Amino acid sequence: MLNATVISQILWTSLATSSYFVLFALAFALVLKVNKVFNFAQAGMMTCGFYAAYVAVRVVGLPGPAGFIAALAGGAAMAFVLERFGFSVLRHRKASPMFVFIFTLVASQFITYAMTMIFGTWPTTIFASMFWPVTLVADVAVSAWDIPAILATVAVLSGLWAFLRFTRYGQFMIAVADNADLAELYGIRKDRVLMVSMLIAGLICGVGMFLYGTRAQVQPAAATELMLFAVAATILGGIGNLWGAALAAVVLGVVQNSSILFIPSAWQGFLLYAFLFFAIVLFPSGFRLPERSKALKRTVAAPVIAADGKGG
Amino acid sequence: MTNRTMTGLSIGRRTALALVLLSATSGLALAQQASLKFGLAMPLTGGQALYGNDQVKAAQWAVDEINKAGGINGKKFEMVVLDTQADPQVGIQAVNRMISVDKTPVFITAWSGVVKAVAPIANDNKIVELSVGANAPDIAKLGDYVYTTFPLADVDIRAVAAYSAKEMGKKKAAVLFINNETGIGSAEVYRDTFTKSGGQVVAYEAYDQKATDFTGPLLKIRASNPEIIHLQGLVSESPQVIAQARQLGITVPITSYSGIYNPKLIEQLGAAAEGVIATSLAPGVEDSPAVKTYVERWVKEVGRPPNGLPYTQYLYDSPYLVAAVFASLDKKGTPITGENFRKEMLTIKTFDLPLTGKVTFADDHTVNKPVYLVEVKGGKWTGKAVVNK
Repeated sequence: MLNATVISQILWTSLATSSYFVLFALAFALVLKVNKVFNFAQAGMMTCGFYAAYVAVRVVGLPGPAGFIAALAGGAAMAFVLERFGFSVLRHRKASPMFVFIFTLVASQFITYAMTMIFGTWPTTIFASMFWPVTLVADVAVSAWDIPAILATVAVLSGLWAFLRFTRYGQFMIAVADNADLAELYGIRKDRVLMVSMLIAGLICGVGMFLYGTRAQVQPAAATELMLFAVAATILGGIGNLWGAALAAVVLGVVQNSSILFIPSAWQGFLLYAFLFFAIVLFPSGFRLPERSKALKRTVAAPVIAADGKGG
Repeated sequence: MTNRTMTGLSIGRRTALALVLLSATSGLALAQQASLKFGLAMPLTGGQALYGNDQVKAAQWAVDEINKAGGINGKKFEMVVLDTQADPQVGIQAVNRMISVDKTPVFITAWSGVVKAVAPIANDNKIVELSVGANAPDIAKLGDYVYTTFPLADVDIRAVAAYSAKEMGKKKAAVLFINNETGIGSAEVYRDTFTKSGGQVVAYEAYDQKATDFTGPLLKIRASNPEIIHLQGLVSESPQVIAQARQLGITVPITSYSGIYNPKLIEQLGAAAEGVIATSLAPGVEDSPAVKTYVERWVKEVGRPPNGLPYTQYLYDSPYLVAAVFASLDKKGTPITGENFRKEMLTIKTFDLPLTGKVTFADDHTVNKPVYLVEVKGGKWTGKAVVNK
């Protein structure tokens, strides 16, 4: 069974299917880094993104691009609701991090139940057909979904990098992530920055669920299961390290899928937990390179303060 | 005089009023005596309501038709419907209410979790519980008062495995299954039956319950070069597994069970669905004119076919079974209690029902029914074969 075609096929499909996992991990890691919240309510943002696209395409009959915009709007809308009526309120009431964490779990389940009441438990997809035509490239099956999904993920990663690097709000986000109280002293409106961070996470979830929901069936509880992978990637990538989480999502996907060559396929899920277990025990800060990350932080943090100081 | 007249009038009015009251009360009592009730506990709200409501509608149609045809020996046939939300706890409350308030000697319910949860109530109160649609194998062992009119798990898996080996002449099969209790159990049944029928299982692969990609196990299966694949998955991921199999160039027939027998599968997969074989435990439109008329009625009155057609067929038939037992007891003048209902049902033993055909209660609390195999051909589900045990 082990030949070049099989290995290439597994590597290619793993890379393509890791696209949405990268996005879920990125959204989770962003909120963890900037808002300092283990946001399990992200499952709710993902669910809203999917069903917004579903309603737009399957119920209203709008074309695919409109469904994509609806997914972005759905994810962002739920992110807004969570931040405005949840996290913001809890912050002002000085709720403990543990309480905020419990809130995210409750919110996630609440949204799942609400969606179940509206849409039922029958799994569905954004487009009526979930079959994507295939082209054989050197005996490797490349589906019409694969390349757009990879490109969309690369575009989101590049967009987020550019946003954080070159925009004022992006730099505010890094400043708040570094030291929220100090950032406030410099005049950065923390609440607004945290809202922007949540909205970006919501948009990323919208893209991720649009990709996922055009390839696989979704029901209201599905996002909770998809979240596990995002959490694992965030821990493996180093808590607070966005790009590490994204990279870990790709590596995890490839390793998990390639494992089929050596172990029975039923053990693939177990492998994820085994990775998590050893990563947490042996590398509690993830596999980051300390020197490089510190250097990067310095180069980014310096202009933030300067820019903000000028802006008053 | 006037007074006397007035008094006389007053007495007359009182008498008339009393007579009216008496006749109304006795009329009510007669109506109560004349109506024969059974309970129906189904999910009317919650995630499973989509199916529950259609099943209740099917049962209500049957009750209306029985009444239109003169009821049960001239007595009105009534159905008491309560919501279970497909939740065992809510089911317990519903069945308790049926027994204590509505005092029905028999009730129908579905969804394995609910069927099992309410079984002790049925046994303790000597009220017959008819499970219609749930298929967990242990339903046959829930006690003296619990019976099923629906064949329990594995009947269809055995049928499709034997048919693949003996009738389709396939010698090498691959089995791909979800790694949970149902998947593992059914995959074993398929493997054993296929092997016993003269075939060889060349690949036996499980996938994780949370898997979102199936390339790995499918490549293993492709490498084993099977003539047929049996997929034992859930309705949520099975279409994606089939889609990926076709994308990876696997063109052999794929069999599965009743879970994928759904028009949505064809919509989701298009040409990739061709050659997929599913099972059904009730005859389809092509097998029975009665089913054809029934589905046409759905389309005419509701504007669509029912959700989970075979299950609604069983639900449509179940009031006919209850009515037959009631009619027999009533004819003999035997009090209609749960205990007598059970005895009479087992005495009659075989019932000929309008949409699902004959059903015979076996001593081990199971029923045997033919298995209908359906195949996607030319973009629609078509009848392939009927397998009798």
